[in-house]
Amino acid sequence: MLMQPATEHIIKRKSMVVAKMVDVVKNKSNDSAHTNHMISLIHIIKKFGQTHAVNDISFQAKKGEIIGFLGPNGAGKTTTMRLILGLLKSTSGSITVQTVDPIKHRLDVLPQIGYLPGNNPLYGEMKVREYLDFIAQMKTVGNQSEIDEIIAQVSIDDKSESKIDELSRGYKQRVGLAAALLGDPTLLILDEPTSGLDPLEQDKIKALIKKVAKKKMVIFSTHILSEVEDIANRLIIINRGEIVYDGKKPARKGSVEKLFKKLVK
Amino acid sequence: MKALFKKEIQFYLNNPLGYITLVLFGVFANFMFVKDIFVYGSASMRPFFEILPWLFMIFIPAISMRLFAEERRTNTLELLLSLPISEMQIVIAKFLATLTMTALGLVLTLGLPISMYALTQQAGARIYLPEVFVGYFGQLLLASGFIAISLFYSVKTKNQIVAFLGSVITLFFLIIFSTDFAASALPQIVQEVFNYLSPLTQVDNFIKGVLDIRSLFYFVSMSLLFLFLTVVDLEKRP
Repeated sequence: MLMQPATEHIIKRKSMVVAKMVDVVKNKSNDSAHTNHMISLIHIIKKFGQTHAVNDISFQAKKGEIIGFLGPNGAGKTTTMRLILGLLKSTSGSITVQTVDPIKHRLDVLPQIGYLPGNNPLYGEMKVREYLDFIAQMKTVGNQSEIDEIIAQVSIDDKSESKIDELSRGYKQRVGLAAALLGDPTLLILDEPTSGLDPLEQDKIKALIKKVAKKKMVIFSTHILSEVEDIANRLIIINRGEIVYDGKKPARKGSVEKLFKKLVK
Repeated sequence: MKALFKKEIQFYLNNPLGYITLVLFGVFANFMFVKDIFVYGSASMRPFFEILPWLFMIFIPAISMRLFAEERRTNTLELLLSLPISEMQIVIAKFLATLTMTALGLVLTLGLPISMYALTQQAGARIYLPEVFVGYFGQLLLASGFIAISLFYSVKTKNQIVAFLGSVITLFFLIIFSTDFAASALPQIVQEVFNYLSPLTQVDNFIKGVLDIRSLFYFVSMSLLFLFLTVVDLEKRP
């Protein structure tokens, strides 16, 4: 009877040690989840006021993956992309890009990312080559020959001396893509890269993404179902801030549409 | 940072509005002084330097209002923040570009001391050149403080007019604090504090040709404070 409080104390201490060990193992597995992937989002919640723009989403992605981020307007696609870039701060959860926090270490992360924002903002008063030269200098990469190479790659050679404001939407989109490609980033984040383009222009941009995606990880958002079928090798469907599907792109033609309609009501 | 600085300078130089603002500043600065030069009857640049803060009150917000407000409106700020350049570098590049443009504006007024120097020599008198240099240096310091304030307003909004009005009103009150008009309406102690805080009081030493370290410290602190607040605002992630 006299030994009982001491025994209880030992048991308590042992259970505390076990709990701590469990925590360490959990943290380690979390870390390894982060380290094995190019990007890793774990239980991300993003609220704007009381509205959940993104509600507890988790996914990881590796090099070589071309992720089609599919969802209706306002589903949380752009918010998720901005979170990955560190342009927004998540309400809770953790994000890493190449194992580091994109907000705390933005200057380490951003050189590895090529980003095409949704509305493709460009400095319209600049000429195409001048703009790409500016972006290359800001990224502290590239020389004239690399800029020439990228201009040729996105087929804007004929407009390289034109003012951006005078270009068609398709050309502007290609300029935005060229800017994203400068510096040979390992991760490409493209927010609705074919939005507002005619079918011919869409095909050109899709072919271009396919071509450059081979050595990179690409995540592109869209609400155009055929785009995912043509480009992506992985599909994430997001609806009202939640991931409702994350897996391989269905192989059969038209099945993405069926899946999308079934999951997004 | 150098690329962004160059881009901002090029925007002013490739844009008719940049030239118009610069020329208007030059014309007003020269005219306001020349029209009264014979009334003063003395070979001094002081009346000119006393006019400049009032001109800066309009000119600086006019050339600074777009710096961040326009980037926010057109979403190019998102593009800028997705590039590997720190928020501080962005702010410093824009600040230095605007300061360079203001310096260019001041260069347009150099005809005044040069012609005054020539005129006074003919008359057998001389103007004291170091006083003129210190005066210009003081104006440049004053301008850097005003630019920092205008940058801060520009980063707070996507509307250029709001940024312009916010800066002009703030600068107006800062200037008017030291005038007799404000002094008469305020209690003595408040009057003294406001008088000390007014850039007009601080620049006065430079106008007299005195390189006052306290005034130098005042303008450097003012610039750093508002540049810091601008960086903090830019670093905020919603």
